[in-house]
Amino acid sequence: MPQAGRDGAGMPMIVEDWDRLTFRVNREAYRSSEIFDRERDNVWLRNWLYLGHETEIAKPNDFIVRTLAGRPLIFCRDAGGEVRAWLNSCPHRGTVLCRETAGSSKLFQCFYHAWTFRNNGDVAAIPDDSAYEGSEGLRESMKLRAVPRLEIHEGYVFVSFNPDVPPLLEHLGDAADYMTMIEQQHVGGMTTLPGVQLYSVRGNWKLAVENAMDGYHFSPTHNTFVGYLRENGFAVTDDDQYAYNLGNGHSLLVLTGHGGRISMIWEPRFGEDERARTDAHRKEMAERLGERRAHYVADESHILFVFPNLLLFDIEGLSIRQLEPVSAAQTDVRAWQLVPRVEDPASRALRMKTVVSFVGPGGLATPDDIEAYEAVQRGIEATAGERRSELDFSDMSRGMVDEVKGVQGRSIDEGAMRGFWRHWVGAAGIDDGLRVVGTRPASFLEGRDVR
Amino acid sequence: MTAVGEYGVVTVAGHALSRAQVEDFLYEEADILDAWRYDDWLALFVEGARYEIPTTDYTGLSLHESGSFVDDDFDLLQARVKRLKSRKAHAENPHSRTHRLVSNVRAFAHEDKLRVTASFVVHRARDGQFDTYVGRYEHLLLPTDDGLRFWLRRSILTHEALPPGARLSFIL
Repeated sequence: MPQAGRDGAGMPMIVEDWDRLTFRVNREAYRSSEIFDRERDNVWLRNWLYLGHETEIAKPNDFIVRTLAGRPLIFCRDAGGEVRAWLNSCPHRGTVLCRETAGSSKLFQCFYHAWTFRNNGDVAAIPDDSAYEGSEGLRESMKLRAVPRLEIHEGYVFVSFNPDVPPLLEHLGDAADYMTMIEQQHVGGMTTLPGVQLYSVRGNWKLAVENAMDGYHFSPTHNTFVGYLRENGFAVTDDDQYAYNLGNGHSLLVLTGHGGRISMIWEPRFGEDERARTDAHRKEMAERLGERRAHYVADESHILFVFPNLLLFDIEGLSIRQLEPVSAAQTDVRAWQLVPRVEDPASRALRMKTVVSFVGPGGLATPDDIEAYEAVQRGIEATAGERRSELDFSDMSRGMVDEVKGVQGRSIDEGAMRGFWRHWVGAAGIDDGLRVVGTRPASFLEGRDVR
Repeated sequence: MTAVGEYGVVTVAGHALSRAQVEDFLYEEADILDAWRYDDWLALFVEGARYEIPTTDYTGLSLHESGSFVDDDFDLLQARVKRLKSRKAHAENPHSRTHRLVSNVRAFAHEDKLRVTASFVVHRARDGQFDTYVGRYEHLLLPTDDGLRFWLRRSILTHEALPPGARLSFIL
C-alpha cells in the first residue's frame, strides 16, 4: 500500500484495484493544505468556473460583488447590456474598488484616490492626471482588469482565469443539455430570485460534491425527511435509479423515487389545487416539447454536478448551489432559487416553501448533509499520519462489481463519485496520483442517451 | 402604534398587555428552547401559525416570492418539531447546547395582533465549536385567554452570511 503522510505530494491519492474491485481515496485529499493550493492553481485558476446567473444582474448597470477562487470580483451588466466580470481591485494600488455587495451603478469609484471607472472597464476619471506622462496611454493601461474569459450557457455565466481554456460548450459537454432541460421546463424560461442562502461548512469542498452524487446516503442520513415524505403519501424508493458520469468530471444523479416536482409531478403534500395546475402544465410541456423530450425534462429529478463548483438541484424545485473552497477544511456555499419567470402565485409560494423545506442550512434535510461533511472532516483526523497507511483511505468501491462488467451504476452505488475522483486526480495535477492494480477496463461508461 | 392608556401597555382585541408580559413570554420561550422542550414550544403557536428565517440579504420581500432559510407553514412547523425530537435528526443528535439572550423588547398594536420586536443573541456549543447568532425578532403574537401565542415567529439574522458551521438545524 502507498505511504501516507501529511505532505500530500508524490503519493497516490487514489488506489483502484481491479483484482479486488476496490476504489480507495487518500484522506490527505480532504486535509492537506498543499493539495488545496495545487487545486487552486490547477483546477480553479485553469478551468471554467460558475460565476452566477444572468438574471441576478437583469438590468443594465446592475452589479454584484462575489469572490470566486478566492478572488474578489465584480459581476455586472454594463451600460450597454453586456455581462462583465471585473477583478474587484483598483488597477492603481489594488484597493477593493466596489465595497457594496450589490446595486446599480454606471461608475465604480475607488474611495482611496477617487479613480473612477465605467462599468464597461474604461477609465472615466483620474484626478489631476497632468502629473502623469502621457495621460491617454495611462488611461488605456489602467482599464479595469477583466477575468480573461466569460461565456454564458442558458443564462449560467461561467468565467475562467485561464485565457487558453477551451470553449465553454466543449467543457460542459453532456452537462449542457441538462441545463437546457431546466430552461425548457416553462415557457418564458427561468429566473433567479432574491433570498440567497449564504453559508459555510467546516468541510472540504469535495465532500459536498460526493454527497450530492451519493444516493446511498439518502435513506439513513435523511431518515427524518423520508419519514415526512412517507407520512404525506409519497412512496419513497431507490429502485431503478441511476448515476451517470458525463465526462470532464461532470456527473448526474437521476432520481424518480425521492419526491414530486412542483408543476410537473404531483404528490399529495402539494395539495389538490396544485394537482390541476400540474396536469395542465404537463400537457402543455408535451405539446411544446414532444412527449419524449417532455418526459426527460419533467418526469425525473436531476442532480447535476458541473465540475468543479456548480451543483444544480432540479428536484422538487430548482436550486443552484455554488461551492467556493476557502481552505482544505472550509467551504463557502451559496444557493439561489431558480423559478419560472411566469408562475401562478400559489404555485410560487408552494415552490418556495417546498424547496427550502429540503435544501439549505435551515431545511429538514441539508443540515444532516452538513453534519456528514463536518463529521467526515473531523473523523479523518483519526488516521492522519497513521503508520498502517492503508487505514488512511476512504472506500468508494460500491458498484464496482457492475462497473467492471460495463453495467450502468445505480444512484445508490458510488460510480459517479469514482468518475469525479478519476477526473480530479488528473485535473489537480497530482503526480502519480492514481495507482492502478490489476487490469483496468479499456473504458468506462460515460454519458446517457436522452435525445 | 400604542393605544392611548397606561404607559407601556398596549391594547389589542380587548386585551391590555404590558411590556413585562411580552418580555415574560419571550423569556419563557427562550427557556423552553434552551431546555429542548419542543412539545411545549409548539404549544406556544396557534394553529395556522408560521415560523420564518429570511436569508441574510433580506430586504422585506415576502418569503412566498423569494428564497429563505426557513419558510414553515403550520404543517412544516409540526414536521420540524417531530424531526427535532427524533434520534435520527443527525444534525441535532446529540443536541446543540444553546443559550439565548433576548432584549430591546418593544410591542405595538397591529390590527388584532401584537407586533413584537426584540434583539437576540443565541450562543450554540457543539463539536468543540462555539457559534454566535445575532439578530432581531419580528413576531406577530395573538392574545388568547391562555396568554400570548405566536401567529408569526420570524428571526432575522444580522450576519452578512452564516459563519462556518453555523447551520440553522435548531430553532433560532
